[in-house]
Amino acid sequence: MNARRLSRRTFLQAVAAGVAAGPFVWTPARAQGFTWKRFQGKELFLLLTKHPFVEVLEKHIPEFESLSGMKVKWETLPEIQARQKMTVEMTANSGGIDAFFTSLHVEKKRFWKAGWYHPLNKFLADASLTSPEFDWNDFTPGARAGVTQPDGSISALAAFVDANVVFYRKDLFAAKGVTPPKTLADLEPLVQKLHAPPGTYGIVLRGLKNANATQYPSILFPMGGTYLKDGKAVLDSKEQVAALDLYTRLLRQYGPPGVVNFNWYECSASFMQGQVAMYMDGVNFASQFEDAAKSKVVGKVGYAVLPSGPGGHFSPIYITGMAVSSQSGNKDAAYLFAQWATNKASMVRELMAGVGVGRSSTWDSAEVKAKPKMPADWYQAYQASLKIGRQGLPEIVGVTEYRDIIGVAIQKGIEGAPAAQVLAQAQKDFQDLLNRTEG
Amino acid sequence: MLLVAVIIVYPIVYTGWMSLQEWFASSLTRPRFIGLANYGKIVFGDPRFRKAVVRTLYFTLVAVAAETLLGVAMALLFNREFWGRGLLRTLAILPMVATPTAIALVFVMMYHPTLGVANYLVTSVGLSPWRWTYSSSTALYALALVDVWQWTPLIMLIALAGLASLPREPYEAAHLDGASTWQAFWHITLPLLRPTLVVAILFRAIDALKTFDIIFVMTQGGPANASETINLLLFNQAFSYFNMGYAASMAVALFAVVMGSSLLLIKVRRSTAW
Repeated sequence: MNARRLSRRTFLQAVAAGVAAGPFVWTPARAQGFTWKRFQGKELFLLLTKHPFVEVLEKHIPEFESLSGMKVKWETLPEIQARQKMTVEMTANSGGIDAFFTSLHVEKKRFWKAGWYHPLNKFLADASLTSPEFDWNDFTPGARAGVTQPDGSISALAAFVDANVVFYRKDLFAAKGVTPPKTLADLEPLVQKLHAPPGTYGIVLRGLKNANATQYPSILFPMGGTYLKDGKAVLDSKEQVAALDLYTRLLRQYGPPGVVNFNWYECSASFMQGQVAMYMDGVNFASQFEDAAKSKVVGKVGYAVLPSGPGGHFSPIYITGMAVSSQSGNKDAAYLFAQWATNKASMVRELMAGVGVGRSSTWDSAEVKAKPKMPADWYQAYQASLKIGRQGLPEIVGVTEYRDIIGVAIQKGIEGAPAAQVLAQAQKDFQDLLNRTEG
Repeated sequence: MLLVAVIIVYPIVYTGWMSLQEWFASSLTRPRFIGLANYGKIVFGDPRFRKAVVRTLYFTLVAVAAETLLGVAMALLFNREFWGRGLLRTLAILPMVATPTAIALVFVMMYHPTLGVANYLVTSVGLSPWRWTYSSSTALYALALVDVWQWTPLIMLIALAGLASLPREPYEAAHLDGASTWQAFWHITLPLLRPTLVVAILFRAIDALKTFDIIFVMTQGGPANASETINLLLFNQAFSYFNMGYAASMAVALFAVVMGSSLLLIKVRRSTAW
């Protein structure tokens, strides 16, 4: 610490004196260029969330410290607790957090409205702060849209991008001579063929309220449904009714018993136990399917893009990112960290560990291709899904409350209530929520 | 005294004050004073809250009734002399010692409709499998069962203490008059035990009304809000929706429900005292 401070002082003196000692030391002429060492000696505090992306990131933070000469301290909390801590710290205006890991699909609009994200547009445009290798346009369009607010301000650098895909049992599909569904119309007849209880259930999707709201758009989007039209709720449109009807009917008729309260944990457990022929969920759950210690279906799982429908072809995506706190006293230094965490080298490392990212170039990187951690069709399905990615949840302040509203409607549907009826109630509650929190 | 004021009185007063405001914890707008509007909304305008109140009371009624019946039965059993009584009594009390969250996690696994041991037991005696917490028609009962499993011993303990202090003379007199065991229980034991039982029920009822941990861990109030009690709903309002003012008003309402039920029970106890 002492040595570091000393070297910084000497360094500053050198710059002040305008001494150019050699090719590896800054000269006034090169001071405009980018360097990682610019904020040498500063200390950053990060609030991180327990997440596969963060697990990989944490291991390499010391590399950033030696690269930048900064000291990094951080705290990693489970997602809900991190959000609560964030709310408390920011409401109290403590200024203690410099950068944070943000789940944009939940926090984007709320944190933006509260003014907690420092807009990164100027930093990104500043060649002295952004490495020429960073390449903002390397992020997929869906990932860029996911971190950009309605007023054009960029709230975070996209880190992890989750996409919904189809997981299916290759052996069961081959035995019946069928292939993964291409369109929504294929879905039900296909599931019906595979359904052979109690040994095998046709399909599993999340039933538990709130959790199911991230899976529902896998059916809703291709059906042509949306959440909002001109700022008004449209949960009672005919596309919504058709989508909810299909989603709930599949689970009611071909899902394992008790599916109404299944979160991803129960869903993937029944899939890994070999009880289910097909499962649609976030692509990143796949790493456990290929883990022989947890899964009975290792090597039998195929991966495919979601089916298309009358409304088009989509994959609901969910984005997390590294954001800079608007209350930080070291915004530019914190931005340097966010940049490092999402640059090409870091993202390749994430993908090598099986964590999907929204950077196009990483998918073709030689390193990833040389040592694939997952089957080839996983990479194909993931990459193809990112290309048709669309933000899976409405971008509003009350995301959690919306998820409960639609979540309850889906659960009631699974238990047999007519789709039109439950959606009429959901529409009323959702519009009420929008009236209270938007505008 | 000052400590008490700071850690007990201040939060209560502050909750009361917050319940009169409209305040979203993450927004830049300051809390806005809206008087009794939150209370108006929970009483007249929020069917979700009304249902939660009914559910809370129903859950308490089912759980505490079952616990009282079983607890008294167990107390009568353990009040007799038999070999191994001490050991069995200790074992019977064990559930009370366990942490609710840990128990809830174990029950989640046991209740799993296809992989759980609960359905294995049910089907092995020839019944068709149940949905337990995985259906909105049975979730509340499945949760009450966990509560019964854990807290029946408490009623048993208190009833046992009550039984130990009963006088012997009435029984001897009844025996001479030719009363059956059932008559002795119904006309002597139960009336004498009643004040003790009311206290036990009061303890349990207060606890059951504010049950949170097992419900939160096992169903999060689902499926489709079928097990959402007042406590779950107010947690959601405060920490999922960040709707602090509204949640505070619910907390005050929950306090009123607990207080009201307790007063009612205490009144019952007074009327039986002699």
